[in-house]
Amino acid sequence: MNTKTALLSAALLVCAGTAQATDYPLTLENCGQTLTFDAAPARTVTVGQATTEILYLLGLGPTVTGTSVWFTNVLPQFAELNAGIPRLADNDPSFESVAAETPDLVTVQHEWHVGPQGIVATREMFHDIGVPTYVLPSDCASKDNSRGSDGTRSEMFSTASIHRSIEELARIYDVEDRGAELVDELKAREAAAIEHARALDLPEGVSAVFWYSSAEMDIDPYVAGRKGAPGYMMQQLGIENVVASDEEWPTVGWESIAKADPTVIVLAEMTRRRFPADDVEKKLEFLRTDPVAKEMTAVRENRIVVMDLQAMEATVRAVYGLEELSAALAGLDLQG
Amino acid sequence: MRSRARRARWHWGWIAPPVLLAALIAGTAIGETRIPASTVLQVLGNKLFGTVYPVARIDEGIIWNYRLARAVVAAACGAGLALSGVVLQALLRNALADPYLLGISAGASTGAVAVTVAGFGAGALSLSTGAFAGALLAFVMVAALARAAGGGTGLQAAGVIVLAGIAGAQLFNAMTAFLIAKSANAEQARGIMFWLLGNLSGARWQDSLVAVPAAALGLGVCLWHVRSLDAFTFGADSAASLGINVRRVQAVLIGAAALVTALIVSLVGAIGFVGLVIPHAMRFLVGGRHRLLVPASALAGAVFLIAADIVSRILIPGQVLPIGVITALIGAPAFAAILIRGRARK
Repeated sequence: MNTKTALLSAALLVCAGTAQATDYPLTLENCGQTLTFDAAPARTVTVGQATTEILYLLGLGPTVTGTSVWFTNVLPQFAELNAGIPRLADNDPSFESVAAETPDLVTVQHEWHVGPQGIVATREMFHDIGVPTYVLPSDCASKDNSRGSDGTRSEMFSTASIHRSIEELARIYDVEDRGAELVDELKAREAAAIEHARALDLPEGVSAVFWYSSAEMDIDPYVAGRKGAPGYMMQQLGIENVVASDEEWPTVGWESIAKADPTVIVLAEMTRRRFPADDVEKKLEFLRTDPVAKEMTAVRENRIVVMDLQAMEATVRAVYGLEELSAALAGLDLQG
Repeated sequence: MRSRARRARWHWGWIAPPVLLAALIAGTAIGETRIPASTVLQVLGNKLFGTVYPVARIDEGIIWNYRLARAVVAAACGAGLALSGVVLQALLRNALADPYLLGISAGASTGAVAVTVAGFGAGALSLSTGAFAGALLAFVMVAALARAAGGGTGLQAAGVIVLAGIAGAQLFNAMTAFLIAKSANAEQARGIMFWLLGNLSGARWQDSLVAVPAAALGLGVCLWHVRSLDAFTFGADSAASLGINVRRVQAVLIGAAALVTALIVSLVGAIGFVGLVIPHAMRFLVGGRHRLLVPASALAGAVFLIAADIVSRILIPGQVLPIGVITALIGAPAFAAILIRGRARK
């Protein structure tokens, strides 16, 4: 080994240990569009709770000048920080309310907010006024948002897409060290959660359904398709999803769900109250009183797990969801 | 002529119960999941005749509480919508008249969407309450407009109410579009679509407590007024010349049609095409005399909606289609066939 290679190897080793500063202008591909940044954004508007929480976790809270699309409470450690940041809308903000904040970047959780039929606006509309939009890769990579109500996944959700979001945002904001630290932390938690889940050694044939909400109490509910974050959790635990659809949140009839008789029912908990079934208590009431639903084994044996909605979506909290689910399953008798 | 009509009446009297029963059994036997016919019969035996076959409780629940309740609600709604169509076509002497003409369904949709999207009375007001309120509001507005525009008796009055209905429907459709454009997201659009195109997936026995009396009310009022309905097909003036209290009868019949439609839309959403197609189809089969047309339309509407619901559940495996899609997909070609056959006969 000559001196030159030795020096190069040493340099590479140093680089692996600490991430280097971002070299602006930075160009990166994001969900089919090319974004260029001349400097770290100083003002950010977020469309979607998941992207807001990633920025908070990266220590970028001070750059956030407006947030929107809140389904549940913010992660508890950020309650105070979040309370001080204007909320443009609980649900979908208008294009102008976002533009009025003159953001350097708009970060987006769900592609449909800014997609070709964007509810807020199209990405082009933002780019035309010089505002770049960053969509979380977890909502566009391996996912077709033009099919199905909430998009259809071609591949199983993977936490790698979350890690990628964190690493890319860390590069954009020049906080790569914090990004690498956060990814390592999430990877460690995920590994521990998977180990805990596998150690449960669940019996064969355990199945589950994840119930999000329903447009009306009695009609077909929205439940988790097999390739979203719930699908990932079930895969790690060796649980079968009674729903076969690749749509993110397909509508499936109670007849099909009851006939499949899942071992466990997971209910989404959220602070949003748009539909009566957004309320966990209403979902529980339905399960316990509907003449067919109440006969399902999971209801009779009270094998019902309540999980924060953000943990059921393609977000950093999916790992927390896996932790919660394996902890909950450890306390249930799953025989029969 | 008279004896033929009487024979036909007997014919319908005999044919109605078994046809309806067969449709209800088909609606109960066919669904999203496969349940053996023997199980279906055992559950029906246990529930109706007190037999004690051992059946899985989930199967029993699906067959009795989901499928049969759904078939009964579908039958009642189909009958009610068809009867509303019969009434409106006779009274307005307009072949295109159906419950939607008066803007009732547009109003119901606005009410439902207002509750869903805008969150009016969220929690306290259900979608169906919103739909019912919207339907009645639309009907009252259309009726008031027709009245203010000088609607009285005669052909011209029929034209006025048709125009008022069109104006009302446009207004309410615009409000629905406004509410959707303002704040609906992808998730809500799904709920709204099911509502605008009809959805029987939430039908349970308690819904039949509204649907069956609504259909019975429609049938009763129509049967009570068969002579008046016949007279109105020749125009309000001829009806008046036959000694019919035109205003009172018009109010009773249109009021009943509006109420029945509003109740049905509030239960299962806006299912189109039944009120338009069924009366026409039955007129070709049994003629224009309402003594036959009324019961025939009620029966055909009931069977048609049960059949459409079955198709909506099995057309795409694992996915339930809005029933309004099916009623239009089956209804439009069937309607075309009837039109062409009718022309050939002439």
